[in-house]
Amino acid sequence: MIIPTYERPLLLRRAVESAQAAGADIEVIVVDDASIDGTAAACQELNGIKYVRVERNQGVAGARNIGILMSTAEYVAFLDDDDLRLPGSLDMQADLLDRHPGAGFVCGAMIMANQDYEPTGEVVCAKDPGADAFWKLLELEFPVMPLCALIRKECFLRVGLLNPRISTIDDWDIFTRIAELYSVLVTPEPVGIYRQPTPQSGQGSSARAAQLERVTRHQLNLFRLPRAATASPVRRKQARSRMIRRISENLVWTATRRFIPKFQFKPALRNFWTALRIDPFGLIRPQGYEKLIKHLILRTGVIRRRTI
Amino acid sequence: MASVSIIITTHQRPDRLPAAIASAQSAGQDVEVIVVDDASTDETADLCASIKGIRYVRVERNQGVAGARNIGLVASRGEFISFLDDDDLRLPNSLDEQIEALSHAPAAMLCYAQAIPEDAGGKRQTPFPEHCPQGDIFWELLAQNFIPCASVVFRRSCIGRVGLLAQHRNRIDDWDLWLRIAEIFPVVGLSKPVVIWRQPTPTSAQGSSNTVELIALATTHFRHDCLRMPRVAQASRRERQQAWRAFSLNFAEHLAWEAFRGLCDHKLGRAFASTRTLLRLHPDAVLRVPRRWMRFSTINTLTRGLMRGDLENAKSKFKHMART
Repeated sequence: MIIPTYERPLLLRRAVESAQAAGADIEVIVVDDASIDGTAAACQELNGIKYVRVERNQGVAGARNIGILMSTAEYVAFLDDDDLRLPGSLDMQADLLDRHPGAGFVCGAMIMANQDYEPTGEVVCAKDPGADAFWKLLELEFPVMPLCALIRKECFLRVGLLNPRISTIDDWDIFTRIAELYSVLVTPEPVGIYRQPTPQSGQGSSARAAQLERVTRHQLNLFRLPRAATASPVRRKQARSRMIRRISENLVWTATRRFIPKFQFKPALRNFWTALRIDPFGLIRPQGYEKLIKHLILRTGVIRRRTI
Repeated sequence: MASVSIIITTHQRPDRLPAAIASAQSAGQDVEVIVVDDASTDETADLCASIKGIRYVRVERNQGVAGARNIGLVASRGEFISFLDDDDLRLPNSLDEQIEALSHAPAAMLCYAQAIPEDAGGKRQTPFPEHCPQGDIFWELLAQNFIPCASVVFRRSCIGRVGLLAQHRNRIDDWDLWLRIAEIFPVVGLSKPVVIWRQPTPTSAQGSSNTVELIALATTHFRHDCLRMPRVAQASRRERQQAWRAFSLNFAEHLAWEAFRGLCDHKLGRAFASTRTLLRLHPDAVLRVPRRWMRFSTINTLTRGLMRGDLENAKSKFKHMART
């Protein structure tokens, strides 16, 4: 279990304790990404962890890579310093990986919580993609959160480490690269608690539009992976158009649902503009508004909602 | 647990690999040899399966040298790490000597030594670098990468403190890592050859365009990353200027030499490319390099070297003189 941390000693303690309770035989590695506050002292108080201090800030992906380097276990899981793992969840996932030697990683469900770790009643669970995980990942239809995944360490030796150059989408990238060569397991059991960030400010939202643009660009790079590159042109085109449609849908969705009701017209306009650039015909295609209409009328989507 | 892991990265060179593996195995008492096959499509896999006592890691998707070395690091279990290219050779017992030197200096994280360059004809030249400075070598290293990559033995634990190799800095990834280590920790240097470093044929045009490219890469790296390293960023303006001057003069000399050699070989395109890069990267070096070259003794060495047709030797003599 690898926990990269940066200047959050108070939250870290909670994360470490939850990680230690998540399984019987767990090596917790805390990678301190050059924090200059009390993180080092806080880690000394914690028992049974392996504390790695990086002297120069490496970013999340870099810190995770160092965690992989320092780990001795067969399976690897990542946990952010503000998230929690549920008790016994790692043992359960490790068991699944033991039983399926051809699987690269196993992904579980995630409970959303607010800033005080109180569940909001929303559980995010990906639908089992079956043998099609790689294409689903390319099409952005299979949301894997790094928090809920347990990865076989051997995978990193075959597909390479995380890419520190693409911060915030490094996890997506590695899961796609693993799914290219390995099969993927999905379990509907909740395994972790995700602490949602504070409601987005205007600045965060424009950052979101920029990130979606980055995702598109990177996703097109992923289409160069041999399995996608050697697939039939029809399949490629289909996956590509689905991916682009999904992103533009997402942009329109955030603009209409989140920004316009709050009278934030600037980020909304930016979103529409990005959507227009990525997918010029998306805005006039009725399918582009499918998710929106579904949400308004049926209240269902890719993400299933359940109450706990 | 093996005390030292030697990581051999290989890509499409099954003819050279067995010699490298054999030299690595005889380089120390307790060596773990890890061969990282960077998605070769030839018989490398079969070849490695037939060699006993190595750990073979196959990467399915090409990662480049730095990425493959990182994967080797993850797979390794030794306390000390050394990298070796598939066409280089380690000298017998050299690893043990270096580990011994490191164990006498507990604070030091890295030990480097000399390499013997060997050209395609099998002719060996004087060991490089001539002097091996020790202790805090950060500023010297910033001016020029004088550490032969294959000669280095470092502690695995220091990677946890300075980070892995930068995959987007392929070809200068080693310099980048040594700099990050030397920034914080002292370094041990052994004045003794430990590795044979096979160089590509110097006359092939590819080698020289590589030099030009490499210098462009290193300059970008220097401007973007090195100047932002905390130790450089906190240094005084004067020190920063000195560092840049030392660095730029070094590469300017290389480029001027490359241009000169291009002229000698009647390859005007090469000479032109070198000169253009030189002018673009460092215009005022054009004034400074010839001033050093104009010294009588230098010209003497050069002409004598040229008459004998031994350019490489003349260059090393010249460089030695320029330094003193």
